[in-house]
Amino acid sequence: MTGVLDRVRGVQLSGLATVAMLVVAVAVNASLQPNFWDSYALTSNFATFVPLVAIAVGQTIVVLSGGLDLSLGAQVTLASVVAVRIVDGSLDRYPLAVAAALGVGLACGALNGLVVALLRLQPIVATFATSFVYSGLALVVLPTPGGSVPFEVTTAYRDSVLGVPVALLLIVALALLWLVLRRHRVMRHVYAVGGDADAAYASLVPVARTRVWAYVLGGLFAALSALAILANTGSGDPFVGNELTLASVAAVVIGGTALAGGRGGAGGSVIGAIVLALVANIIFFADVPTDYRQLVNGAVIILALALAGIPALQKRRAA
Amino acid sequence: MSAPLLDTPRGRLAAWRPGPVALAGAVAVALVIVGELVSPGFAGYGQLVNLMRVAAFLGVIAIGQTIVIIAGGGGVDLSVGKVATFSAIIGSRVMAGDDANIVPAVALSLLVAAAIGLVNGLGVTLLRIPPFVMTLGMIGVVQGLILAYTGGQAEGRAAPALTSLVNGRVIFDLPGLLFLWLLLGLLAVWLLRRTTFGWNLFAVGANRTAASLTGVRVNRTLILAYVLSATFAGLAGILLLGYTESVFLDLADQYMLPSVAAVVIGGTLLAGGIGGYAGTAVGAIVLTVLQGLLTTLDIGGAWRTVVNGVVLLVLLSLYGRQRRLRS
Amino acid sequence: MSPPLLEMSGVRKRYGGVQALDGAGLTAVRGEVHALLGPNGSGKSTLDKTLAGTVVPDAGTIRIDGAEASVGGPRDAHALGVAAVYQQLSVVGDLTVTQNIVLGLEPARRFGFLDQRAARDRAGAALERFAAAFAGRLPLDRPAGALGPGEQQIVEVAKALARRPRILVLDEATASLHKEQVDVLFDVVRELRADGVLVLFTSHRLDEVFALCDRATVLRNGRTVGTVELAATDEDELVRLMVGDAPHQAPRTPSDAPATPSVAAPGTSTLEVRGLSADRLRDVSFTVRSGEVLGLGGLQGQGQSELLLALFGGARVTAGEAVLDGRPLPRSSPAKAARAGVALVPGDRGRQGMFAVRPIQENLSLASMRRRATGRLALRAAAERRAATSMVERLRIKIGSLADPVSTLSGGNQQKVVIGKWLLDRPRVVLLDDPTKGVDVAAKEEIYAIIRGLAADGAVVILNSSDNRELTELSDRVLVLFEGAVAEELGADAISERRLVSSALRLAPGEKL
Repeated sequence: MTGVLDRVRGVQLSGLATVAMLVVAVAVNASLQPNFWDSYALTSNFATFVPLVAIAVGQTIVVLSGGLDLSLGAQVTLASVVAVRIVDGSLDRYPLAVAAALGVGLACGALNGLVVALLRLQPIVATFATSFVYSGLALVVLPTPGGSVPFEVTTAYRDSVLGVPVALLLIVALALLWLVLRRHRVMRHVYAVGGDADAAYASLVPVARTRVWAYVLGGLFAALSALAILANTGSGDPFVGNELTLASVAAVVIGGTALAGGRGGAGGSVIGAIVLALVANIIFFADVPTDYRQLVNGAVIILALALAGIPALQKRRAA
Repeated sequence: MSAPLLDTPRGRLAAWRPGPVALAGAVAVALVIVGELVSPGFAGYGQLVNLMRVAAFLGVIAIGQTIVIIAGGGGVDLSVGKVATFSAIIGSRVMAGDDANIVPAVALSLLVAAAIGLVNGLGVTLLRIPPFVMTLGMIGVVQGLILAYTGGQAEGRAAPALTSLVNGRVIFDLPGLLFLWLLLGLLAVWLLRRTTFGWNLFAVGANRTAASLTGVRVNRTLILAYVLSATFAGLAGILLLGYTESVFLDLADQYMLPSVAAVVIGGTLLAGGIGGYAGTAVGAIVLTVLQGLLTTLDIGGAWRTVVNGVVLLVLLSLYGRQRRLRS
Repeated sequence: MSPPLLEMSGVRKRYGGVQALDGAGLTAVRGEVHALLGPNGSGKSTLDKTLAGTVVPDAGTIRIDGAEASVGGPRDAHALGVAAVYQQLSVVGDLTVTQNIVLGLEPARRFGFLDQRAARDRAGAALERFAAAFAGRLPLDRPAGALGPGEQQIVEVAKALARRPRILVLDEATASLHKEQVDVLFDVVRELRADGVLVLFTSHRLDEVFALCDRATVLRNGRTVGTVELAATDEDELVRLMVGDAPHQAPRTPSDAPATPSVAAPGTSTLEVRGLSADRLRDVSFTVRSGEVLGLGGLQGQGQSELLLALFGGARVTAGEAVLDGRPLPRSSPAKAARAGVALVPGDRGRQGMFAVRPIQENLSLASMRRRATGRLALRAAAERRAATSMVERLRIKIGSLADPVSTLSGGNQQKVVIGKWLLDRPRVVLLDDPTKGVDVAAKEEIYAIIRGLAADGAVVILNSSDNRELTELSDRVLVLFEGAVAEELGADAISERRLVSSALRLAPGEKL
């Protein structure tokens, strides 16, 4: 039945639209930023992309499962402040800090998953609530910006190998990690649950366990995002993840994954994240007055979210 | 005729505990008693009036939040805090401390707020962006508007008449603000219970398909809900301005989470279709007393945030469960 | 002698106010194709789902090979060797055909990484038997959602077969298949029978049942009526079992019916429908006048609900129009249709008709309150209460207080509330979609009286019903729909339950029943 009774299945952007946006963003950015193709500019650009790319991959997995994680940004914050408190400038403790960050991400993800799958709370509201728990804890761990990351780490992060920026290699590694995950049974089940939970249940898919896994994976990528932020900025900040949550959702939408779940993939989200980061660059180099930058940035995010809804609008007109 | 049956949707009924308003009221009283035990003087008259005054701002912001949450379908307005801030900033600048400017200042503030609500409503209905995401995105836009409008420095000042309206003592040493809250609260109750809009809103929240098939204009009702939400947030911003006299750039931002929590505490279902403003008002008081208690116990802002999140989680698991896959 | 492979007995299941199963059961053996028959709403699908683990019954036992089995979920059913193909497709449209077939049981290498080749092989093997239905090219790598409904259904069957079941449940599995696809499916089912598999086959098409099945168990109103050997039974006998021995035609004299409440707007109207097409609706034309009850018959799901929705502006109309007294009805908006004088009592009361958690007062007021509101906004409590009370009295709705949630009422009274909300709006056209589903007998008669009263007062009434007796009692004419089109029109003298059943089953009109 169509008309008022039709359930809105996911509206999504085509891969072509995503790539077109990337091309336009690169072209505009390159024309505005005089030394865009210089290795220094490339390295520092990619260095700022990685955190958003990582969190976008995590958000994609949660969205594919039919959920949404509004606490991912807070998880990034919490994982990063825990790591920075542990490492405290010492390279020896860096492995421990990495492990701690990953542990924090996995634990936060597991808590979200349990709340959503077992207590059966609406994912958006539940993760909205947990986001306050995580960001509050982050403030407890590190009340004011501070702490330092060993300079070896920050230097390596901005280095390049055979002319290829390390940060770009990290983005490729994140994409590869996604490709590996996609070949795993858990991701297949994530797609099935997000596509049609009732059908998946009837087909013997462990629906609740799959949902928990989606949030745990989301937390894992949030932790990777936190490590990238630390390597990029060199110090801790208890508010660092605030803006990332919404940007991750926007990246997912630009990347062509349906917010309704079950359709899309993290490849598009990686591009979506890069497009968003480039837009921030463009706003900077386009001489937008400082006071208007945030407005333009906010408007771009809203427009990106609206993109997902345009097909719905056209369908309505045709009706 | 057969005995009354608990029919569809059963889950929603089963999840609903009777008397949430009374329950919330009891919690508020209990918190006050605990406060008095921990720190004598907590329940003094002056202290309580003070708590009520803080609760009033939250209570007014939560009027709009109640409306959008009743509309159901994941309806929520996370931008209320930011909109209240923006409204106060506009009001302050236009008033510039002069009583003659009150009317244009308030009118402009509310108009801008309503326009923001309209955009939220259009995004949620026509573009089908999930309300949480849409209104979260709107926070960034409004923050941008604030920066663009102020250049990073808020100016102006509340008109003296506004300040005396909000802070002036009327009777029993109660500030005018409390009477304004009462007035707005009554308006909200009337809107929800005695207007076609209110009944349509409950219908849309209780069963969107049935509402549409009963001739209710669903999208129009939803858009109006978001416009009202932003407008009440704008009003709260003006009241805050009267209270603080001068503004700062994140004046009302911290009301985002408590506005949602107050609604949930008051027994309004996040699934929509059930609830009312009286409960929300009590919910606002509960949260304010809780904050006061935490402050008295010398618990810092960070832990208070954690407690807020946990409180919301606990409330959700009491009221907000979803259906099982197996029937 | 070994015990039968499957024994179900005393199965009960209640959904809200509806007793879907009320002590149903069946016994079936290895190597048998066993049909499950019954009229609309007799509980066949619920019984199937109980066996497949997607519905947990309130009571009843399932024995497999004589041992009592507890089926708490689809995984339990799978462990017992049960696989099911559902009436509502359970393929995930975004996954490929291969991914769907192996879903939930994906072959994996170490650490849970998918073995794509093994998956493809397994899916290919399962689908191979249906190669003829795909013109030889198996669509293993296409998204299942891109296939036609018949092909998706075949994929669904292949998915069940890939689970190597001992018991295969086919619930309306042929509903969306073409003739050739049905033939392929039947060949596979016969192979399975030869391999000793028990196939439970639910279908509305009696010719298929006779062509394929060995025995049939007939359900009526959630109870098992009997099991017959099909070789020793004819269609007449089956229809009689399904309909029951109740040929008594209710007298259509208004005298012994309950007093007719006077409700609709007076005057005369004509509704003319010309070439109306929409999703699942093809080129429907008819004319109805004031005072007439037009019945819609046929098997369930042949476009009756879609027709009513389309007339109410609730479905996307692709061609044609509906004209009320010379003015075209609005196409796209139920709100406009309601303001043009059309009312719809929808088929799914819980989902489409009422606001379960809201008070009876609001449920009754909603459709018409704009007429009584000051400035279209301010409601007067007394006026709303008066309006609601008048309808409670006219329709004899049994309530405690107007403030109680409508969900506290019995099914019949809930339905009266849904009807009553429209009557307060004085509609000229009343569309009723299965208005007595899940309603007890006494309330049924009262709703009949309301419907007759509507027609008597000059409303145009269109009534869809899955209950043929209801159509017989109320309609002046019946349109029998089949696959979205009008297949037959029965005039007043031709309407009988037998005729409706045979016409719905597409038996030749002259054939003796």
